Amino acid sequence: MIKMTNIVKRFGEQTVLADITFETYTKEIFGLLGPSGAGKTTIINILTNQLSADEGTHSIDATPFETGLMLDEDGLYVRLNCLENLNIFAGIYGISHKKSMEALKRVGLESDAKKAVNTLSRGMRQRLAIARAILHEPKVLFLDEPTSGLDPVTARGIHKLILNLRENGATVFLTTHNMDEAVKICDRVALLHKGKIVEQGIPTEICHRHNAVKTVPDLEAVFIKMTGVGLE
Amino acid sequence: MRSAKAIFIKQLQDTFKNRLILIQLIIFPMMAFIMTELVAKVDETIPNSIFVTMFAAMFVGMTPLVMTNSAIAEDREHKSLRFLVMAGVKPYEYLLGIGGFIVLFCSFVSLVFGLIGGFTGVVFVKFVSVLVLGSVASTLLGAIIGILSKNQQAAAALGMPIAMLLAFAPMIANFNNTIEKIADIFYTQQVNVLVNDSSASVTRPFFIIVLNIIVLLILFTLAYKKKGLKS
Ligand SMILES: Nc1ncnc2c1ncn2[C@@H]1O[C@H](COP(=O)(O)OP(=O)(O)OP(=O)(O)O)[C@@H](O)[C@H]1O
Ligand SMILES: [Mg+2]
Repeated sequence: MIKMTNIVKRFGEQTVLADITFETYTKEIFGLLGPSGAGKTTIINILTNQLSADEGTHSIDATPFETGLMLDEDGLYVRLNCLENLNIFAGIYGISHKKSMEALKRVGLESDAKKAVNTLSRGMRQRLAIARAILHEPKVLFLDEPTSGLDPVTARGIHKLILNLRENGATVFLTTHNMDEAVKICDRVALLHKGKIVEQGIPTEICHRHNAVKTVPDLEAVFIKMTGVGLE
Repeated sequence: MRSAKAIFIKQLQDTFKNRLILIQLIIFPMMAFIMTELVAKVDETIPNSIFVTMFAAMFVGMTPLVMTNSAIAEDREHKSLRFLVMAGVKPYEYLLGIGGFIVLFCSFVSLVFGLIGGFTGVVFVKFVSVLVLGSVASTLLGAIIGILSKNQQAAAALGMPIAMLLAFAPMIANFNNTIEKIADIFYTQQVNVLVNDSSASVTRPFFIIVLNIIVLLILFTLAYKKKGLKS
């Protein structure tokens, strides 16, 4: 579905991505895990053609219209309200404005539909950004740290939403630096450290491989074993 | 086309929620109205329409330019433009949406100028159409500045002096021959010629304004291709 082969990316002297190769399957949740500065956003930017790679190839089995995006900057229109923000994109995609309200319901913002974005809390803005990404029911969804900075309850709500999207046939590519999140919702993960993938596969299998199963599979332990550093 | 429409609506909604921009839109016709009613109509020695033509020419040089430039710079700075592009919006659709609204809105203000000036018949039509054409050129120039500026601050720092220069060059040109020759190739000078002299020949100024619009359109496309997505 999403494929990267031998991708190298440099910013000046710094090699930010070194020989990245992975593939995601249809209708799975694929998690890219790594600490801040690992290169997660850079990978999304390359996959969505916002950045060009220096070496390697990549592809997505979906048209731009079949792709949904939530990036590290939300790009929302701050003076407009939630509904107006979504209606712009409903207009662009040529879908009914009813879909905007449906998307707001799915992220639990229906009663805030008429609130201006610059009056929303961080978590609400994040949910609105997700609503915009799923508005047109895309086949492939990119979520760059969808739960960062959110309280556990809101984060759990978003997890449920993401699982629900997969049930409905979407392929989800998400980045996170939260290992528990990855174990809980990702079908497969890649661990990224300083621009290199140090391990990838099914979370529980990876943990077994590295004897990192306590009561629950512990990806954090694998990460520390592979890189010598923790995540936070 | 539906993308352009969606962006047109966004710009409309946003304009009415943006006080700084609303002031830009209202200040020139308001000044024209006040000065016409309180000064021009009272003082027999000055023509009734003098303030209307003066403020209308300034409006055309400044308002569409600043509106467009700040709208685009803000869309870029807040990364909203990126989401539009990722949703498949083409440069001309984006320009048509933003610029279309601004030109339409400024055309409406131009009508108001025409009414305040008390023009009638052919003179009214000519006066308003020149302002509309000038607004198109100003909107394009604002779009180019908006695209080339890193953020809103840079856009204002670059846009304001250009807008002032274009708006005031015709006035300076009155006193200096060299400046008049240079100013001659810019649309604001031609707008000024036409709004101030209803008997002037239309062909040459009209041709120069349209030429300005074509050149600006090409420059916009180049700027968008080069800088459209980069932050
Ligand atoms: N435009 C750029 N120019 C120069 N360096 C960059 C640029 N973008 C990213 N980098 C560098 O690339 C590295 C990876 O950045 P990236 O944003 O991909 O990390 P990340 O994994 O998304 O981190 P975070 O969790 O903080 O979002 C960092 O060292 C960053 O400084
Ligand atoms: Mg990031």
